[in-house]
Amino acid sequence: MAQIVLNEIDKTYPGGMKAVNGLSLEIEDGEFVVLVGPSGCGKTTVLRMIAGLEEITGGTIRIGDRVMNRVAPKDRDIAMVFQNYALYPSMTVRENLAFGLRMRKTPKQEINRRVVDAANILGLAQYLERKPAALSGGQRQRVAMGRAIVREPEVFLMDEPLSNLDAKLRVSMRASLAELHERLNVTTVYVTHDQVEAMTLGDRVCVLRGGVLQQVDTPQNLFDYPVNLFVGGFIGSPSMNIVAAKLVRDDVGTAVMFAEYRLPISEHVVHARPEIEPYFGRDVILGLRPSDFEEASLVDESWARMPVTTHVTEALGGEIHVIFVVDAPPVEHKDVVDLAPEAEEGGAAVPLYEGKSVWTARVDAHSQVRAGDRIELGVDTRNLYFFDPDSGLAIGKKQAAEPRRSRRGTRSADSPGPA
Amino acid sequence: MTQTGRTVDEVAVAPDDVTSVEPRTSHSWWRLTVLGIGALVFVFPFYYMIIGSLQKNQNTSLSGVVPQPGNITLRNYGEINAALNLGKTLINSGVFTGGVLLATVVFGVLAGYALAQLRFRGRGLLFVSMLLLLMVPFQLLIIPLYVLIVRYYGLGDSYLGMIAPFAINSTAVFIFRQYFLQLPKELFDAARIDGANEFRILTRIALPLVRPALLTAMLLTFIGPWNEYLWPFLITKQQSMQPLAVALANYMNTVQSTVSNPFGTILAGAVVLAVPAVALFLAFQRYFVAPNIGSAVKG
Repeated sequence: MAQIVLNEIDKTYPGGMKAVNGLSLEIEDGEFVVLVGPSGCGKTTVLRMIAGLEEITGGTIRIGDRVMNRVAPKDRDIAMVFQNYALYPSMTVRENLAFGLRMRKTPKQEINRRVVDAANILGLAQYLERKPAALSGGQRQRVAMGRAIVREPEVFLMDEPLSNLDAKLRVSMRASLAELHERLNVTTVYVTHDQVEAMTLGDRVCVLRGGVLQQVDTPQNLFDYPVNLFVGGFIGSPSMNIVAAKLVRDDVGTAVMFAEYRLPISEHVVHARPEIEPYFGRDVILGLRPSDFEEASLVDESWARMPVTTHVTEALGGEIHVIFVVDAPPVEHKDVVDLAPEAEEGGAAVPLYEGKSVWTARVDAHSQVRAGDRIELGVDTRNLYFFDPDSGLAIGKKQAAEPRRSRRGTRSADSPGPA
Repeated sequence: MTQTGRTVDEVAVAPDDVTSVEPRTSHSWWRLTVLGIGALVFVFPFYYMIIGSLQKNQNTSLSGVVPQPGNITLRNYGEINAALNLGKTLINSGVFTGGVLLATVVFGVLAGYALAQLRFRGRGLLFVSMLLLLMVPFQLLIIPLYVLIVRYYGLGDSYLGMIAPFAINSTAVFIFRQYFLQLPKELFDAARIDGANEFRILTRIALPLVRPALLTAMLLTFIGPWNEYLWPFLITKQQSMQPLAVALANYMNTVQSTVSNPFGTILAGAVVLAVPAVALFLAFQRYFVAPNIGSAVKG
């Protein structure tokens, strides 16, 4: 087991494309760290640099107490799981598992013991003599895991290992991965673009954008205290609703105003977050989590009210997502633009909603709300997020004092935030 | 199948049925005729070679096309064997072809793998100059090669001298490079992390995946050295070293007047030369269709 220290690492591809820019990160021994971000953010490049498959342009990578910059992948004592599994098609499962050990001249008996152990852990015992082509996707994924396990390396590197599985299998494999890490407690770096995977698996999650590290923290802290609009928008599902708003303090009290709405803010909240003070009378970007909404009749008077007309409702059984339109132009901050991979595929801008923002609210499953209804939503204004409209940085939601590791506390919930 | 219970789809896949759909049928008749004529044109010389090799007396008239029972004999084969020592020349052809094949595959695989998978300075330049070399016709190189191999290396009348100029085949290098480029990159990454060196990766992982393609390349390469005439002819003075193609050509120029049916004897030699190639083709027919190197990677 080993600590991994990335110190100011850079990756510039021939032709000048800078994939990773001055990234520093300390990964503790036995920690499960997830690198997450939209596609093209450099997360896989970072992983491949740790593996030694990609040369490092600048900075140093240390695993354990050795600087690894110029050490060959095989001498780094790492094992990697690839998105497409990269099983050797011409070998049986047993040979696949044993290959790395045989290359290292491990004694035959030892190889056999480890292969059988790993096969038992992963439920592959009856498939040992099969070729990968004769396995299902989930089984291949487990063989790929097994190939890493038998090596008993200092570090596991995983590059989107679950993204080729169907949704149901992905959830169960996610649970097995968490359990496996619990059991083996090997330092793990895990790359994914799926923020639910990131939140559920990681002791800590690193959010990357354009090769630059945005924030590293526990999943709950990322959710509660995003450093900027990008992280706020990326973490959480459904994602945060954002709008250009104005903070006001007048005869009626303190409030945040956008479109036709005025949400009062309790002085307690302002008091707890003195950084907000300078922004009164100025523009801010307001963020509201879908989970901070509820149908007005179900909550007490302290929640602000927002009358809306529902456009679509999505009943998920345990909860209902209410989608409605707010008559304010969508925020065009660069942080938000980077967040919308759908925009490239032409799915983002529905002309129907042009010039307006589409919001999601999560309400109780017992709500009677239907599409087209005019309803009143309650908003928990204690949990508003404010961002500076220029820099996109969070205002007055203090970072957790220290980016601490919480070992398992946040792992039980499948999705972040209150249900 | 009756006329009534037939659907449009079934008709479409049964174009040889004359009664059902007139336009389609006539169209396919045309196609069949044209293809048939084409096949005949290609098969005829081959057929005539076999017929000719069996004639007791040469019959160049049109009636010679049809085998005549009275005019059939195997004597031509005996005569060509007596004149050339077919066994020895076939062995020479075999050694020459086998050597070229072996060298082509070994060097082609090694160089192709390096060009596809290894990162080294000058790789692009090397690849481009290799492609450039492909453009130089062999005829241009013959004289310098002859001087080099016979005068300097003293390899005249030796198998090595015959094989050497063909040992590295840049077409094969190119083809093998393409094969290796098609394999998923992660396989190589995984093997490198697993601790395999490049030679192990090549032999244990890459080669098993391109094996069908490899066989195709070998079969296609086979015919070249097997039929090669000019180079072995230049480099062999002793008849005992000559491959069959060369010996046969020499025979045509010199000794043919001594046998009863020289024409038939030459054709008998040609049949012997053609049989291994045809046999290989028949045995490995399916490999001449481009193989699918399906990668058992993801689901």
